[in-house]
Amino acid sequence: MKSRNTFLFRECIIILLKTKWVGPYLLLPPMLAFMVYAEAYLSAHGITGIFTMEQRTVLAIWNGSLLLALIAGIKSCLFFSGIWESRWFRNSLALPVSRSSGFWGPYLALLSIASVIFVLTTGAVLAALPETGRFPVFQIIAESYIPVVWAVSMGAFLGLLTTGAAGSMLFTALLLVGFLAGMPAARMPEWLFYIIPPVGRIMRVGLVFPQGLIQTGILMLHSAGFLLLGRILYGIGLKRS
Amino acid sequence: MPPYISIGGYSDQPRIPHFSIEVDRGELVAVVGGPGSGKSNLIKSIAGIRASATGSIRIMGARPGSIRAKERAVFVFQNSNFAPDLSVKTQLERRIALYRGVPPASVQRDLTNWCEEMDLVEPAGLLPRQMNRSQLQMLTLAPLALSEPLVIILDEPMSNMSSLGVSSALSIIISSLERASVLVFVQNKSPLAKRADRAVNL
Repeated sequence: MKSRNTFLFRECIIILLKTKWVGPYLLLPPMLAFMVYAEAYLSAHGITGIFTMEQRTVLAIWNGSLLLALIAGIKSCLFFSGIWESRWFRNSLALPVSRSSGFWGPYLALLSIASVIFVLTTGAVLAALPETGRFPVFQIIAESYIPVVWAVSMGAFLGLLTTGAAGSMLFTALLLVGFLAGMPAARMPEWLFYIIPPVGRIMRVGLVFPQGLIQTGILMLHSAGFLLLGRILYGIGLKRS
Repeated sequence: MPPYISIGGYSDQPRIPHFSIEVDRGELVAVVGGPGSGKSNLIKSIAGIRASATGSIRIMGARPGSIRAKERAVFVFQNSNFAPDLSVKTQLERRIALYRGVPPASVQRDLTNWCEEMDLVEPAGLLPRQMNRSQLQMLTLAPLALSEPLVIILDEPMSNMSSLGVSSALSIIISSLERASVLVFVQNKSPLAKRADRAVNL
């Protein structure tokens, strides 16, 4: 790939590897440990029912995915809105770089780093919990990666649409609604699941055929749709600046 | 052979009702205008990072913002030429390498030599906010000297420089005229306006 297409990607990777941007990911292990502990506590006290070891592993992978999605989405909002508002970034588009790399460069940089953290987190979960071998690990890993992609895409869109703080709040609210709407007790009209992200539902029915496949498809479409909207916003913003 | 820089019928109401200019190889043309006269918007339009409402802008016959135009032109903005979180040296290496089409490591020696010549070795390793504006402005001129552009467009390149800096910057700009055309946006009192082959008021 030509350097004019990858210049801003590499520039963003260097920036995103600074402590200020990597630091929030350090919250992931304690948050994950707390959630696993809380779930074990609730299970032991009969509040959520007894989890089998497989269920605990699946739950831990999903917990890691959703926590990572939360952090990656907020970071995506803040990063996109930060670079979009900064003059150095706009001025750097006068360098011999392709115009669209101003959007795809930061997006792929954020996604790459979130993906590395996802691999590390999932690997740590699988290494920490006893091997069971009675559930499709790779299917769960693939499904639980999609919320991370969705979060970065949605963060890119919201970061371009509004300020970093407002985008982060909106993103957190969307993720929370998507999560809660998928819980068994939630009563919502079916069509709403085509609008709000089915992050909770995919977690619950991910292994059920064909619902798991449908929810995976919907979340992927969500992700692609907001990514496309973000790219369109970027193009409009460039023309208006 | 088209002019190196060609701007025809550019308009940015109400500040610039009409502006046209052509700059050829070896020419240094100063566009003179006070604060708020629309200089910065015009330079952004030439760079292709702002859509111009009317008029035609071409850099060596290419549309502004196209890769063909950007590969031949170096733009130096008045401020915010560098990302705040990376050392200026790192950024310069990567930018010069981008113009030359080579890996950043291969321009390290040239950049270090240039910085030594300009007595800027130490500040170059700092973040932009850690150095004074005069040093920062001088460092923004490194791509002019090291990436051999054919078109150079500068926005107030000496506004924060000491007299010593001004003379060094002038010599960098003048020496690039052998191969390039230079369009510089300045205020009235700039030494570049006095040295220019032509000065055009906005």
